[in-house]
Amino acid sequence: MHAPTGSVDAGAGLRRPAIDFRDASVRFGDFTAMGPVNLTVERGEFLVIVGPSGCGKSTLLNLVAGTLQPFTGETIFNGAPVEGLNPAVGYITQKNYCLPWLTVEGNVRLPLEFRRFPKAQVASLAASALERVGLRGFEKAYPRQLSGGMLQRVMIARTLVYEPDIYLMDEPFGSLDALLRTKMHDEILHLWKDTDATFVFVTHDLAEAVTLADRVVVMSGRPGQVKLTLDIDLPRPRDVVDIQSNPRFGGYIKTLWEALDLN
Amino acid sequence: MSMNTAAVNSRKATGAHEGRAPTQRKSWAVPLGLQQLLVFVSLLATWQITSLYFSLDFWISSPVAVYQEFIRWYASGTLLNDLRMTLTAAGSGFVIGSIGGAIIGFLLGWIRKLGDLLEPLILSLYSLPKVALAPLFVLWFGIGITNKIMFAAIIVFFMVFFTTFQGTRQVDRDMITNARLLGASKFQTWTRIAIPYSSIWVITGLRIGLPYALIGAIVGEFVAANAGVGYRIKEATSYFNTSGVFAGLIMLMLISFTLLGILKLIEKRVLYWQTAEVALGEDASKHIP
Repeated sequence: MHAPTGSVDAGAGLRRPAIDFRDASVRFGDFTAMGPVNLTVERGEFLVIVGPSGCGKSTLLNLVAGTLQPFTGETIFNGAPVEGLNPAVGYITQKNYCLPWLTVEGNVRLPLEFRRFPKAQVASLAASALERVGLRGFEKAYPRQLSGGMLQRVMIARTLVYEPDIYLMDEPFGSLDALLRTKMHDEILHLWKDTDATFVFVTHDLAEAVTLADRVVVMSGRPGQVKLTLDIDLPRPRDVVDIQSNPRFGGYIKTLWEALDLN
Repeated sequence: MSMNTAAVNSRKATGAHEGRAPTQRKSWAVPLGLQQLLVFVSLLATWQITSLYFSLDFWISSPVAVYQEFIRWYASGTLLNDLRMTLTAAGSGFVIGSIGGAIIGFLLGWIRKLGDLLEPLILSLYSLPKVALAPLFVLWFGIGITNKIMFAAIIVFFMVFFTTFQGTRQVDRDMITNARLLGASKFQTWTRIAIPYSSIWVITGLRIGLPYALIGAIVGEFVAANAGVGYRIKEATSYFNTSGVFAGLIMLMLISFTLLGILKLIEKRVLYWQTAEVALGEDASKHIP
């Protein structure tokens, strides 16, 4: 019911999962940072990963992006193991990777130019991406002229412009204030609804997790392992404010909080 | 007195309250440029008066005497000839040193392994006082203009090289990974990210290096020359001609000042994005929370 594109239907079988972590573990030297982790992310799913600091939440994303290779096991992306950087992902963190000497538009065009899109297409795709994140009118602005929330929108526009198969979001709104964060949640849910893409979203904000997710994965620390997966059975489309007064909302948060077991 | 009255009047006229006094003050304040000119003129006046009053003209000359020296040099043609010599040496040295410093600084800064390998060598060369090389350069390049060019070049080289090297090393590697995920090829990370980034540092290096080009040329002329501003200063000293020495120093100041002005203009054009108005961000937050 809450599943976005019907891909969760177990009987389908024909559709491969978006991501499949198979016994994936990561080591830094002798230190096992994560795993082994077994986790499947369905196509079109909105999966949120929560867990204490240093539990390997970001490590999971890095495995999908290919910026990190597993010590054991493998990461299957669209049916094939990830080897080397994976440009099919859109990776958004709270860090601002805008090039300061390019305008907002220049930054959004960048991935299209890297990917050698036809010139005629570049301009119109960039324009519609900026339109979608509400940055029309700011094409000619430089990054240093923008506020934190607007920079984050540029980063999102720069990702959605090339239509990645999967959005990896690592605490993307961690540095934004609460009001702006709520607004961004609404925008992210719209973005997710409008694409077929899979979202894997890392946070340590439980309300954020429940608001956005189809399914929340709780990880435990050192080495990071999956402790609990919780389906969030809340109606969609969701209103990011109203959802919080849904009677089940608090219950989910309580379950997650207990699973985190920070005491 | 009259200024105060004007201020009061203008305040009354616009009906401004005390809280807005700072904006009102602008209407009668002396422009900064004029203030700076006043400081300059009073310095010259102090110099002239001190020299006359204490009969110190042998030691510190005086603005009038220096001016007369300039006129004399101009009439005899040495002024333009010296300028040409020194500017050619400093300018050519600056160009050669900058290009070399920028390219090698970028490569060693960007290719981390190479930078690590050569860092001790670079540091030891950097810490060497370059002036000590002057006699060696006479030996290598003779006493002609080549010597001055090369000497200016080597000093500028180290300034630009080191700034570029250090700056390029600090480029955020995550930024490059991010660009690769956005679809950039290795080559594109060079052309679209690494080179623009280090150009910021190259420009900083150029600004630091420019006065050193002049130092290089002048030291070269001190060591061995028969023309140029440095030679002229040395010659004037040997004749106890303080006016000549001061005229030479002022000439150097003017050259340096002009060159830095030109560089500032170039910098403004290249680094336009650093000076863009900030106001937009504040304004924008009204429309987008």
